[in-house]
Amino acid sequence: MADPAPDSKISKLPVQVTKPTPYTFDLGLLLASDPNPLILSSTTNLETDLASTARDGAQALLNQLLSTCPITSTPSGVLLSLPSIQTKLPREKPLPPQKEMTTWEKFAAKKGIKSKTKEERKKMVYDEATGEWVPKWGYKGKNKEGEGDWIVEVDERKERERKEGTERQGDGRRERKERVRRNERLQRANERKGRKNGGKF
Amino acid sequence: MLRQIKPRNARSKRAQDKKAPKSTENPKTALFLRGTTCSQIVQDALTDLYQLRIPLAKKFTKKNAIHPFEDAASLEFFSEKNDASILVFGSSSKKRPHAITLVRTFAYKVLDMIELYLDPESFRKLSQFKNKKCAVGLKPMLLFAGTPFENPVGDEYTIVKSFFTDFFKGEPADKVDVEGLQYIVSISARDSVDGEESKPSVHLRVYLIRTKRSGQKLPRVEVEEMGPRMDFRMGRVKEADEDTMKEALKRAKTSQERPKKNISTDIVGDKIGRIHLGKQDLKELQTRKMKGLKRSRDVADEEDEDEEDVVSDEEPGKKLRKA
Repeated sequence: MADPAPDSKISKLPVQVTKPTPYTFDLGLLLASDPNPLILSSTTNLETDLASTARDGAQALLNQLLSTCPITSTPSGVLLSLPSIQTKLPREKPLPPQKEMTTWEKFAAKKGIKSKTKEERKKMVYDEATGEWVPKWGYKGKNKEGEGDWIVEVDERKERERKEGTERQGDGRRERKERVRRNERLQRANERKGRKNGGKF
Repeated sequence: MLRQIKPRNARSKRAQDKKAPKSTENPKTALFLRGTTCSQIVQDALTDLYQLRIPLAKKFTKKNAIHPFEDAASLEFFSEKNDASILVFGSSSKKRPHAITLVRTFAYKVLDMIELYLDPESFRKLSQFKNKKCAVGLKPMLLFAGTPFENPVGDEYTIVKSFFTDFFKGEPADKVDVEGLQYIVSISARDSVDGEESKPSVHLRVYLIRTKRSGQKLPRVEVEEMGPRMDFRMGRVKEADEDTMKEALKRAKTSQERPKKNISTDIVGDKIGRIHLGKQDLKELQTRKMKGLKRSRDVADEEDEDEEDVVSDEEPGKKLRKA
């Protein structure tokens, strides 16, 4: 586009279009509607009238496009980002039916099970205390935290309910192993239940 | 209705998926075909419209014994067979000379139809204008001028507007090259004059756009006719069923959030919310606490209890002093 300074001496060509009723635009479609009544002076100069209306419309549309749409210049050319289409146009085919939920999806929705996030799926977690990344399980895993402590506060209630023949030492490990066994138990139970219901919940 | 085929290989599966309904649809294909009798003028007009519509267009050259307003079954068949939802049918007869029927389909059934009679005198072909044509497949700009197109109640003119908007929509694009804005399709109609029998004709003109330096930021636009030039008189109309149209106008729910109600941002950037409270129960209103206003005072018998309360308030203090 021309720099305004050197051209200012040349008589400026008008670029504004003024009409009694303003144009309405749908820039997504590059569409302009001119609601003003069409002025046709006579049948002989119909073409000039139509051309002048078209010129005004084109000018107004181009002004609107260049002034409201974000412009980006790329090596391939200057691109205008258009807004979404406002005009309601009929579709050619009906909307596709929504996909039916799978058995698992239904079950998960009922139980409130959400798929793990990318972060949750990672093996390593950040240990705030030491400022290091440690694995969640396995060698030096986060789940073994506190098992190797050489001094542990005595829990009065736990001591009272302690089973015969067990010691405080290895409590953490015992609890962890118990949790694993419990989970396996539940897993087996779920499988049994699944088989009984024929794979349906 | 075409036979439903279960895809037996990947290629036919792909072809079927391409035709299947989608939430964001493929651009509409336009099919151009002619009736058993079709004047040269209408044939030329069809060719020119086809030229403007390439590449989303197909053109048949053989004659088809179709009368769209009597029986549109063949058109529906062609629509399904070619996966085309815009059909432009040209025919010419003594009663209806130089007729071009514009048909839109929804789910391979005719949605709306409008018949336009081409004016043979004013018709000019694309090739009759001796100038440079714009490149094939460019997105045109569109202009509808005149009050008839603005009618809030649907009529022929709004159908024409909707049809041509659809027709010249082209490929959906969220970005366009400024260099690509090369031509404008101007469709105009003058006001209907009282006392005049016929409806005002629709003028379709296609202009090339020339931009000049204006000395301002925006360029000055000049137009040059590119062709084709067509004037149409209104013919028969078949408007869309309300139910079908409603179905056809449905949009898929987008994943983007809808604007929340009653929340706005003012010029400074502060968030303003409007809250609707339920009706306030003034009976529960806490007024200033005074002994005389106590509810229990209403019942005279319970005065003693009140006094006790007061005493108990003071007692701890006394006790403290004693201790």
